[in-house]
Amino acid sequence: MDVYLPIAEVSVNAPLLIGLGMVVGFISGLFGIGGGFLMAPVLVFMGIPPAVAVASQANHVVASSASSVFAYGRKRAVDFRMGAVLAAGGAVGSLLGVEIFRMLRLMGQGDLVVSLSYLIFLGVIGGLMLIESLGALLRRRRGEPPEAVKDRRPAWLYGLPLKMKFPRSRLYISIIPPVLIGVFVGILSAVMGVGGGFVLVPAMVYLLRMPAGVVVGTSLFQIIITTSFVTILQAGRNQTVDLMLATLLLFGGVIGAQLGARASARFRAEELRVVLAVIVLLVGLQMGLGVFVTPADPFVLAPGAGG
Amino acid sequence: MAFDLPPPPVSAASVSAALTTTMVEVSSDYKGQKIVLYGAVFNSTDRPADVVVVVRGPDQPVRIARKVQVAGLWLNSRPVVFQGAPGFYTVASSRPLSEIADYGTLRRLAIGVDHLAFKTPADGAVETRFGVKDLVVSRLGSDYLDYRRAVVRIKHAAGLYDQNERGVTYVDKSLFRAEINLPTAAPIGRYQAEIHLFQEGREVQVRQRTLEVRKVGIERTIYLFAHQRPWAYGFLAVFLAIASGYGASVIFRRS
Repeated sequence: MDVYLPIAEVSVNAPLLIGLGMVVGFISGLFGIGGGFLMAPVLVFMGIPPAVAVASQANHVVASSASSVFAYGRKRAVDFRMGAVLAAGGAVGSLLGVEIFRMLRLMGQGDLVVSLSYLIFLGVIGGLMLIESLGALLRRRRGEPPEAVKDRRPAWLYGLPLKMKFPRSRLYISIIPPVLIGVFVGILSAVMGVGGGFVLVPAMVYLLRMPAGVVVGTSLFQIIITTSFVTILQAGRNQTVDLMLATLLLFGGVIGAQLGARASARFRAEELRVVLAVIVLLVGLQMGLGVFVTPADPFVLAPGAGG
Repeated sequence: MAFDLPPPPVSAASVSAALTTTMVEVSSDYKGQKIVLYGAVFNSTDRPADVVVVVRGPDQPVRIARKVQVAGLWLNSRPVVFQGAPGFYTVASSRPLSEIADYGTLRRLAIGVDHLAFKTPADGAVETRFGVKDLVVSRLGSDYLDYRRAVVRIKHAAGLYDQNERGVTYVDKSLFRAEINLPTAAPIGRYQAEIHLFQEGREVQVRQRTLEVRKVGIERTIYLFAHQRPWAYGFLAVFLAIASGYGASVIFRRS
């Protein structure tokens, strides 16, 4: 059953879109990431113009993250205050990122920067996460005790001014590191068209040392705010949000996210991280290695001329 | 147009044509559309006449970049803008265009994908050269043809540009038909169909018909809303997303 998308101006298979939304929603609920880094490449592959794909899937991310956050919120697994601080930085970052990306596109280098960001960020984060989680998994197999948790938090977290209490995370730290992380994630999400969960989750675990129980929920809460901001900005400035596309995707997405959040309870954290690391690495390589392959046609249409 | 041509010899050849569809409605089940053009040639002379059908969609500027290899990476060169490139262009005839009219005539009438008038004003830098002021130079220079061919090739691959020397078929001696295939990617807007009648390499008559491709129903509502009230549209999209997320979480909690 094909359906014509009014803004993307292409005809696509509707059940396929719902299925895609469901799979990405499931992964989103399972790992606490938005899943945009998976969705955007698939949509572009289906023939949807990249600008519309990125803008509309931001709306799907809002829906599937919201679906999970309501579930996590009931379990008191969301640090709303930390999420708001991160999102404040994220808003600044995405405004910056939109401008940076606009300039890169005018120079015709948008594709290159997107490919390289995917390769570098997904490659590095996926690789590090894979090493760390495989190590943890092996130690468990050998029956060794898990690596002693370094309870001492890094001193720089405490040395900075503008401290704030985050009771849900049991932290009393300066807001400067979370705001900077938010800005960085905001730039990335504007350039790569993603929510930034794959950067945020490791940053909260390894840099801010937040308790594992609130990381996923807080990450998703932050993603809702950032991607809502991106959706409104994209609709208002570029008219690239396709409601028909977004509706089909989020219909599958909210269901998938619920199933994912449920399934996450059945797996060990390390096992989940191994799977996520492999997915992240594969997508990064797939997107990034394209710039090394000799193109079949040396000419490409550049976006931004209305056609 | 006739003033720069010698008056055609006392000719009794003329053409008339009609489109079977003049309004293409793009709704949610739109998958492109095939449009049939019917026409008749009235030729009381003994000289053979040729019909060439040209359908041109609304202009859609094209930005095109060439990939160049730098240190192992394939980078895009600075994009070049082609103004005046039609978003859809198809030519149908009953034999090769080069046999119907000469190069100059085809170029003047912009018949054939090689004769489309593209302009690149974005590159027309104004310079002073050899003491002459305000010279317009194209940055592309000799690469211009490569870029032009690439635009045609990419558009052809998307089904947007076509040139078919068997596109006009004769049902009987004077009645002909031509099929125009609009893909889903064909732009929305007003299309011009021109039916040219050639005799001995000279255009003796041209007829124009128009065709409109427009969105209808929910497609049109969404499109207009997105363009007329973009901010409200954005807020609605976010509201729908959060509401459906909340709805799903409530339903799943009960089950």
